[in-house]
Amino acid sequence: MLLRDTIQTAHRAIVAHRMRSLLTMLGIIIGVGSVVLMVSVGRSFERYILDQVESFSNNLIELYPTGYEKFGRTLDSVTYGDYEAITGLTTVKSVAPVIFITEKVQYGTEELSPNIFGTTSNFFANYGLKLGEGRLLSEADEKAARSVTVLGYEAAEDLFGQRSPLGERVQIGSRSYTVVGVMQSVGSALMQDLDTFVFVPFTTARSATGQKELSYMTMQAVEDDELALADVTLLLRQRHGIDNPENDYDKDDFRARSAEQATKIVGQVTLGLTVFIALIAGVSLLVGGIGIMNIMLVSVAERTREIGLRKAVGARGHDILLQFLIEAVTLTLVGGSIGIIGGMTLGMILAAAASKYIGYVPFVLSFPALLAAVLMALGTGLLFGIVPAKKAASLSPMEAIRWDK
Amino acid sequence: MAKQNPPLIETVDLCKSYFNDGMETPVLFDIDLTIREGEFISIMGPSGSGKSTLMHILGFLDTPTSGSYLFRGQKTRVLHDDELARIRATRVSFVFQAFNLLPRTTVLDNVILPLLYHPTIPASERTERGMKAIEQVGLTERATYFTNQLSGGQQQRTAIARSLVTEPDVIFADEPTGNLDSASGIQVMEVLQNLHSKQGRTIVLVTHEKTTAEYAERVIHILDGRIATDTRDFKRNHAKNVKHLK
Ligand SMILES: Nc1ncnc2c1ncn2[C@@H]1O[C@H](COP(=O)(O)OP(=O)(O)OP(=O)(O)O)[C@@H](O)[C@H]1O
Ligand SMILES: [Mg+2]
Repeated sequence: MLLRDTIQTAHRAIVAHRMRSLLTMLGIIIGVGSVVLMVSVGRSFERYILDQVESFSNNLIELYPTGYEKFGRTLDSVTYGDYEAITGLTTVKSVAPVIFITEKVQYGTEELSPNIFGTTSNFFANYGLKLGEGRLLSEADEKAARSVTVLGYEAAEDLFGQRSPLGERVQIGSRSYTVVGVMQSVGSALMQDLDTFVFVPFTTARSATGQKELSYMTMQAVEDDELALADVTLLLRQRHGIDNPENDYDKDDFRARSAEQATKIVGQVTLGLTVFIALIAGVSLLVGGIGIMNIMLVSVAERTREIGLRKAVGARGHDILLQFLIEAVTLTLVGGSIGIIGGMTLGMILAAAASKYIGYVPFVLSFPALLAAVLMALGTGLLFGIVPAKKAASLSPMEAIRWDK
Repeated sequence: MAKQNPPLIETVDLCKSYFNDGMETPVLFDIDLTIREGEFISIMGPSGSGKSTLMHILGFLDTPTSGSYLFRGQKTRVLHDDELARIRATRVSFVFQAFNLLPRTTVLDNVILPLLYHPTIPASERTERGMKAIEQVGLTERATYFTNQLSGGQQQRTAIARSLVTEPDVIFADEPTGNLDSASGIQVMEVLQNLHSKQGRTIVLVTHEKTTAEYAERVIHILDGRIATDTRDFKRNHAKNVKHLK
């Protein structure tokens, strides 16, 4: 038999058994499609989280007040005195105190409820934030506790639209602030949309809120993260009179953390996520594989009778095997392609949809997963298409024709 | 005339048993049969006597359990699978009691199916040969119909056309007229008759109808898996057959 005839025969068989072919392909599409979708969603999310963490300078350190007994009230264990003492340390630099203002920001009829940071210009450097237009907060602003503000890119856009906000006055709580600067768009980090933030001088925030203690503090390690963390922790324990040689964080009324530690934690989380996704992908493969297997097994009797007839009119064993091989490969390639394209499209749509809510989520495709999915589909297709065909081809034509198991 | 031709088929002590789950069902016993080129033979016998089983073995669709089967002087037991396939493709063809057509496939595609596996007939001749065979069974207007759109009789004629298309040495037809009305039955028998008389082809036919059997020059009766009578050597076996028939 000519190869061309075998190919044509296989393709006619696919068309003649439309339902069987469709169901087989459906198994392949589901298996391959869900693996591509699951793995790419997982990989995209992983990439997103890593981007979030890595967007901070690696030597960032954050210092928070903690304490369970004060739960429900503003924590006040980290003081301005602590801030001044920490600026004296040689292992840290660029220390910035922060007091949050929980007020609305208004301009005309526009109103926002952003995170409002009362802080110093060091803050911007610590988070890698860059100025778009105008100027940052200055030492003069700080000294005079001026009512000036710097807006995040999105906050400015939401309040002013296309107009330049520079020189305009916005209302924060009961006070009016002059906009002196707008930040560049940087997207989000650690699930926080940095572009929506609003900044005022630390001293201004302190007098506006009447809050003496700090909401939190940020700084950068001069060289070694661990060293800086140890220095800060020791200093604060000393200042707060906490005897804690065993380093039990529950005894402290503050917590100092480096971005590097956060990266490690996130790395562990995403590793867990990857394993989880791989498990789901494995289940998807299994489901798809079982689908293919079922439809192949259900059609074994029909196929066996057809093989018997073909042998009765002169087909050789290898004509039969080649026909079924081509049929399985065709179904796999078509189904696999649809599955890949479908899974990718859905993944892209999901990534785009998620980008709207949590900041840019990149679409990442995993080629090993893709390969595994296609190989699985091909494997099941071949196994359950070819093995029964091989068995049927080894029967006498009459045994095959009368097959009804 | 046919008796002078060399033997096409010779069986010696041919036996066939079916085995199901280790259970043996003996069906054919010590079949000694010689069929010469150009013969037209009818096989008759009661239902279950083993006619189809014998035909399947002679048509290379099944293998004997013991005994020997020589085709054109060649022992078939020693032939490889591919050699058997070549014989099925070129020298023998089969019309089944139960049509055995490919479903969801047109009459023409069913008829030319054997040509796909024929080692020498070129692809370009398939349609022409197929249409010629279809014309011989009077189905020209139905050539593009799917087989499930045909009556039983038309399906059987499609199967007959498929058996003609390779112009084989011998056609085995297992009750080819069993599902046809008498008019199309006669039409089919005339096709077979012509193949025999004009082209000298060997035809082996199973039938229950005496009128159909009469087309043949030689009638073999099978009873309980044995040849009971054979008109060719009726005299020689007469005494034995009388004993059997009792
Ligand atoms: N695959 C099989 N397994 C077991 N027994 C079988 C098998 N095929 C046929 N038989 C038995 O072999 C015997 C002969 O069957 P066969 O089909 O050859 O009869 P037949 O003479 O063609 O009958 P009919 O005229 O009804 O077609 C029957 O008793 C049948 O039950
Ligand atoms: Mg029969």
